[in-house]
Amino acid sequence: MTRVPGLKRILRIERDRAGIERAVDDELQFHFDMTMRELMTNGMPADDARRETERRFGDFQRTRERLATIDRSRLVQERRAEWWSAFAQDFRYAVRGLRLKPGFAAAVILTLGLGIGANATMFGIVDRLLFRPPAFLIAPDRASRLYIATSNRGEENVRSYIGYRRYLDFKEMTTSFDAITPFYSNNMAIGTGDATREMEVGIGAADLWKMFAVKPVIGRFFTAAEDIPPDGSRVVVLSYAFWQTQFGGRKDVLGSTIDMGPAKYTIIGVAPEGFNGFATEPLVGFIPVSAASSSMGNPKNPWYSTYNMTWFETFARRKPGVAADAATADLSNAYQRSYKKQLEVNPRSTVFNIAKPRAFAGPVLADRGPKEGGDAKVATWLVGVAAIVLLIACANVANLLLARALRRRREIAVRIALGVSRARLLMQLATESFLLALLGGLAGLAITQWGGTIMRKALLDQSDAGPNAFTDPRLLIFCGLLAVVAGLLTGLAPLFQTGREDVSSALKAGAREGHVHRSGLRTSLLVGQAALSVVLLVGAGLFIRSLVNVQNVRMGYDAERLLWVQPRMRGVKLDSIQSAQMLRGMLQRAQTIPGVEHASRALTVPFWSTWEYSLFVAGIDSVSKLGDFTLQAATPEFFSTMGTRLLRGRAFTAADGEHAPRVMVIGQSMAKKLWPSEDAIGKCIRVNADTMPCTTVVGIAEDVRRGKISETEMHYYLPIDQFQPQGGGLFVRTTGPAAARADQVRRELQKLMPGVSYVTVTPMSTIIAPEIRSWKIGAIMFAVFGSLALVLAAIGLYSVIAYNVTQRTHEMGVRVALGAQARDVIQLIVREGLRIVIPGVVLGAIIALVAGKWVAPLLFDVSPTDPPVLVSVIVILVAVAVAASWIPATRAARVDPNEALRAD
Amino acid sequence: MSAVDLDLLQGTLDLLILKTLTWGPRHGYAVASWIRDTTDQRLQIEEGALYTALHRMEKRGWLESEWGLSDNNRRAKYYQLTSAGRKQLRAKTAVWTDYAAAVFKVLQTV
Repeated sequence: MTRVPGLKRILRIERDRAGIERAVDDELQFHFDMTMRELMTNGMPADDARRETERRFGDFQRTRERLATIDRSRLVQERRAEWWSAFAQDFRYAVRGLRLKPGFAAAVILTLGLGIGANATMFGIVDRLLFRPPAFLIAPDRASRLYIATSNRGEENVRSYIGYRRYLDFKEMTTSFDAITPFYSNNMAIGTGDATREMEVGIGAADLWKMFAVKPVIGRFFTAAEDIPPDGSRVVVLSYAFWQTQFGGRKDVLGSTIDMGPAKYTIIGVAPEGFNGFATEPLVGFIPVSAASSSMGNPKNPWYSTYNMTWFETFARRKPGVAADAATADLSNAYQRSYKKQLEVNPRSTVFNIAKPRAFAGPVLADRGPKEGGDAKVATWLVGVAAIVLLIACANVANLLLARALRRRREIAVRIALGVSRARLLMQLATESFLLALLGGLAGLAITQWGGTIMRKALLDQSDAGPNAFTDPRLLIFCGLLAVVAGLLTGLAPLFQTGREDVSSALKAGAREGHVHRSGLRTSLLVGQAALSVVLLVGAGLFIRSLVNVQNVRMGYDAERLLWVQPRMRGVKLDSIQSAQMLRGMLQRAQTIPGVEHASRALTVPFWSTWEYSLFVAGIDSVSKLGDFTLQAATPEFFSTMGTRLLRGRAFTAADGEHAPRVMVIGQSMAKKLWPSEDAIGKCIRVNADTMPCTTVVGIAEDVRRGKISETEMHYYLPIDQFQPQGGGLFVRTTGPAAARADQVRRELQKLMPGVSYVTVTPMSTIIAPEIRSWKIGAIMFAVFGSLALVLAAIGLYSVIAYNVTQRTHEMGVRVALGAQARDVIQLIVREGLRIVIPGVVLGAIIALVAGKWVAPLLFDVSPTDPPVLVSVIVILVAVAVAASWIPATRAARVDPNEALRAD
Repeated sequence: MSAVDLDLLQGTLDLLILKTLTWGPRHGYAVASWIRDTTDQRLQIEEGALYTALHRMEKRGWLESEWGLSDNNRRAKYYQLTSAGRKQLRAKTAVWTDYAAAVFKVLQTV
């Protein structure tokens, strides 16, 4: 056989399954025919020839199938290779395109990076608050945080904090759980001398270790035998991070002791890296609840048998196969039995039928449960805000890509004319936008890594670094998804444009013709951007006003100038008299420190602690039905120290001593509540029991906010000398901002502390900070995101107007030639900008008004439809629109008619 | 007629096919005939195996195929060496020659 001259291609290579089989059959048929013919030519009879042919070939069916299989896999392989090479080509093309326009590429990548980064940051925080179960938790779907609820005055009060006795009842009376443990974290002084630091320690029962899939890195965990009231065993399991930083990961720490709070603890083990129990803040270690609680309560009512103290939350895991409802029913039943037991020891508790006690197993994450914090709510809102920012960023990028697609119209038309398939072309453009999105995603990760640290600090109040954005799988997946979405969103617009391209008209058109028509898509993107900017800026305005209101709200004391001084005893046990003596000494010393204006002893601290007693007033059936009354016990200087104004009557004096007639100062709203139509001064209130002697009201003070920043409390003041027990600390009023004096005050007062005891000094502003944090975050984040949105929208508008002006140079030339003044041209262009922005502003204002009712609960003393906010946002947007169109407008006005008309 | 079972010499079939195709594109029947004629029918090649080898080498990229017209004007699938195929041929030839020489040398030893 010789080669056929001029091979003719009859068919393209088969591209599908059926085609492959047909081709194999054709090939083999040809072979059989040829062999037969040859044999018969040599004189073999037809039947013999067929047999011989078949013999020579071997197993026909098997070969046929094998050939088809080989060809099919070759086809797959070829297609893949083709796709990759096309992709590689597109990719190279896209990279080259971007490198030719570095400014464009940087603008797009940065814009997308900001959008993606903002979202990923918020995702990281919300994930932590609402989604991600604690590390190592076994069967998170069966793990719960336990809640109890009782009713009072028709209102149900849900709590997650309970006491040890209740926990024991739950443990005994329920059958649904295979693990149940208290858990809380406490600030304790760690170390001795100058190295003493206040750090968080996790506290739980032995079941804690059952709920997590953890093994000690070294040593062991504590056991139930080490957690027996009253004192338990003073043993600690260190956290991995603390072990590394404080002990350099030395194995010989086991058996050594460490000073924690009032006692020494023996180190028995180290928990694995990243284990933090149910806590969100980093912990030093974990100690048994019995050891941590041993100094609590009083001998008459020890901590492990009283129902009156609540200091921890409880976590439990349902047995496999027990439904959540069944567990809740079981738990509720246990709580009701426990409540009846409580009534036996404590007959003064609210009667069973009114309290209607119930309990339930809620989600492990506190912010998913009924006691959701304001931070989680604000964070959830901010997720929405971040999404809007991403939308705006995408709109902007889409706009930039569109403008580029329009500029490249002729290039694209040429390529279509040269036979590049439309699908291929779309693929190429898509590759470009996905490349941009990918780079944007990377930029976003970088922004997350950097911004996330700041945000976590602000929002979660955590100093730890948190997950590394570049290695955390959840964040990576999230960023990747966002990049894909952004790629789709931004890629789609230019694709539509290209899909509609009419080749011949684009080829024929000069720069002047054809595409002066404004793109409807680009305009509507801008309208959307303007609307979203309005929404965000209104949000920013509302939160900023809330923040200002919160900061200006009259607390009833001057937080900025107050320090709270708390003595912490260690290794010394003082009785009530000694303790009062020490505090008196500290008070005297504090008053001599330079920069200290006043100082006063006090029992409780706003937002940190409360004290309540039953009150009895002649003529009032049940005072407790009127609401909660909280008390403060203090020395005479208290009001001048705090800056709490006395409205009428007098404050305490030194004469109101232990044996003097009992007196009290009450808050304004308390006075109004108890004696709505009479003067409270001179009235008698019996404190704690109706058998107690009269305590006479001698003064009325302004109301204070000390439990919630949004409302004042019914509060009263007793002279501390007439009050038992005498604990607490000192309030110190400084001449300037208090925080600056904290260290000096601490050093001075530390000198008075016996042995290894120490004092902590906390500025009141630090105590209040968490209370106003949600507004602060809201204000900052809405303002940041809002300004980001505004800048993006302004850039978008500017680029569109500038582009239109360039396209209309010719028209402007004609106008100027026909006698148009610069002012006319500028007006023309600026009006065009406003035509785009004003519908957006109107739309945004409508959205803001409608969405307002959802944010209302997060605001402080501001209506969600606050007119000044709305008006100023509209003014800002219009001003920005004018500014963004002004620059291209002046350029248009400078057009030289000669040049414009001669060009092109 | 003494015939050698080609299974004994693995990879030899590939080598023979590659060599056959150095004179230009051929269809499977032509490759089979050429090998038979050239070896004076001393190599017994199962033709099914020959086709399998052709398709496998096409998949590996040593050959490419195209449909063309045969001498008697019928559609036939023509195979042609690619540059990768040529490289293969060179390499295999060298290995095979060395191998054959070595075996021969052993056999020559008295």
